[in-house]
Amino acid sequence: MENDKPVAWYRRADDAIGAWLLAALLVITLVNVFVRYFTDQSFAWTEELSSFLMLVMCLAGSASAITRDSHIRVEFFFEAADPGRRAGFEKFSTLANALFFFGLGLLSAMMAWDEFRFGDTSPAIGLPKWWYSIWLPIFCAILCTRSLQRFQQIQRPHGQAAEKDAP
Amino acid sequence: MIAAVLFILFIALMLAGVPIGIALGLGATAAIAMANVDTANFGLLAVPQNFYATLTKYPLLALPMFVLVGSIFDRSGVAQRLINLAIALVGRGPGMLPVVAIAVAMFLGGISGSGPANAAAVGGVMIAAMARAGYPASFSASVIGAAASTDILIPPSIALIIYSVLTPGASVPALFAAGMLPGVLIGLALMIPAVWLSRRHGLGAREAEQARPALLVSLREAFWGLTAPILILGGMRLGWFTPTEAAAVAVGYGLLIGMAIHKTIGVRDLLPIFREAAELSAVILMVIGLASIFAYALSTLSIIDPIAKAILSSGISSSAALACIVILLLIVGMFLDGISIFLIFVPLLTPFMRAFQWDPVWFGILMTMMVAVGQFTPPMAVNLMVSCKMAKVPIDQTFKWVWWFVLAVLIAVTAVVIFPGLALWLPKALGY
Repeated sequence: MENDKPVAWYRRADDAIGAWLLAALLVITLVNVFVRYFTDQSFAWTEELSSFLMLVMCLAGSASAITRDSHIRVEFFFEAADPGRRAGFEKFSTLANALFFFGLGLLSAMMAWDEFRFGDTSPAIGLPKWWYSIWLPIFCAILCTRSLQRFQQIQRPHGQAAEKDAP
Repeated sequence: MIAAVLFILFIALMLAGVPIGIALGLGATAAIAMANVDTANFGLLAVPQNFYATLTKYPLLALPMFVLVGSIFDRSGVAQRLINLAIALVGRGPGMLPVVAIAVAMFLGGISGSGPANAAAVGGVMIAAMARAGYPASFSASVIGAAASTDILIPPSIALIIYSVLTPGASVPALFAAGMLPGVLIGLALMIPAVWLSRRHGLGAREAEQARPALLVSLREAFWGLTAPILILGGMRLGWFTPTEAAAVAVGYGLLIGMAIHKTIGVRDLLPIFREAAELSAVILMVIGLASIFAYALSTLSIIDPIAKAILSSGISSSAALACIVILLLIVGMFLDGISIFLIFVPLLTPFMRAFQWDPVWFGILMTMMVAVGQFTPPMAVNLMVSCKMAKVPIDQTFKWVWWFVLAVLIAVTAVVIFPGLALWLPKALGY
């Protein structure tokens, strides 16, 4: 963080979840290699766990990326626009983000509900599937909120420059 | 009609600066809903299902791991030592430092899998060294931006992992093997304009005055960096590790080098490194997940098959189609980043691949080469942006140099088009 302003707790939380999950994925993968070479066992169930952790890492990291405005976009027109119009583009883009994650959250909640209703279980471990899929609507709600928080920052004068740190 | 909505909505949102993944997702969701007005929930449950299924594919885990490899080796101090060794080997003289930069970028390409990370690692050392030797900053930035583009071809490569996820019939090991020779070819092709421009414009005049490092000392110092690609590529080749595991082992090895041997990474640096890698991976994974909804819409709304039939009935020849695709990719490469190019154009170009029975591995290498060119073709050029930021020059100052490098790589691309064996020989020889 280049600025001296205290960083909002939710930003640190998003960052920490992403970083620690990546570290956990690394450790699980390495342990898998060692276990395979030193014993005859293989941990097939770790694949299911790792895949799920990767999804959550992606969602938490995306929340950080929304706050830092580092999602991939076509910057050509964006950079060419004058500051006033660029702020307009940016507001539009955060609202589009919020709308999409609201919709995805709703649909994924329906998906999780179906899996709960029908009692689907996961292929490798046999856990109820909704234990995994329930996190999708939860994180979509977070991503939607982060987009709106970002929108609020752009609205506020001078808020934008302070919050936009290194990519 | 629905296809038009899909594309128009996507392109309009994208041009308005909406993140590409969101533009893909919104366009596809709208199109799916329109096509299924009579179905329960408008058939939209396919949206979270595709997103969820794509982002929980286990082979995709190789991607965040290789992103992490890049972030760690970037800070491990390996680049500095490899550069010293390379200078000790080739000697000093006008045009030698650019050659060193290209060679080291290629070697680091055998460790990391992303162009910008490579440009940062090489640029961090080479830009100051080249400035001392009298190369203008705009020239150094151009050389390093272009050289770093070899990274996505020389295995391991994040771009090739993404292509493999999108394309049935192109495995990661086969693509990795196939990228090797074209990557080396691009590197060699870049060296020609680098030396020629230096000689012609009298750049690096002070280079000969600089000291040449002692060979044995630099060899010993560079030992740890030199063994890294052997561990990664050799380990995969011998079947010790899967690509994901190879990346995890490389992360462990990089941390060992950085923390214990070269002492360039402290315990306090770890959290920022992991945070940065997690965010960068998340950005890429998010586009992949959302692009899968787009690809689902394209395939279920029967948009692709009519295009494929139209191609075949139009009587266009295979080579003419290929030439059009290369030119199209060159143009979009100037405006879109590499990941988005793969995610948008692989589903769109698959009908061509099927219609003309092009080898999916060869076609993937060709697309990756075009993405590599795009990584340093202004105005939208990720590698060049990184190297320009480090050299503190505006990107438009590189224009007078960078086109020579673009031309050199396009000649290499032509060679791979004419001789597919350049890409396909190695995977065949290794038995993939």
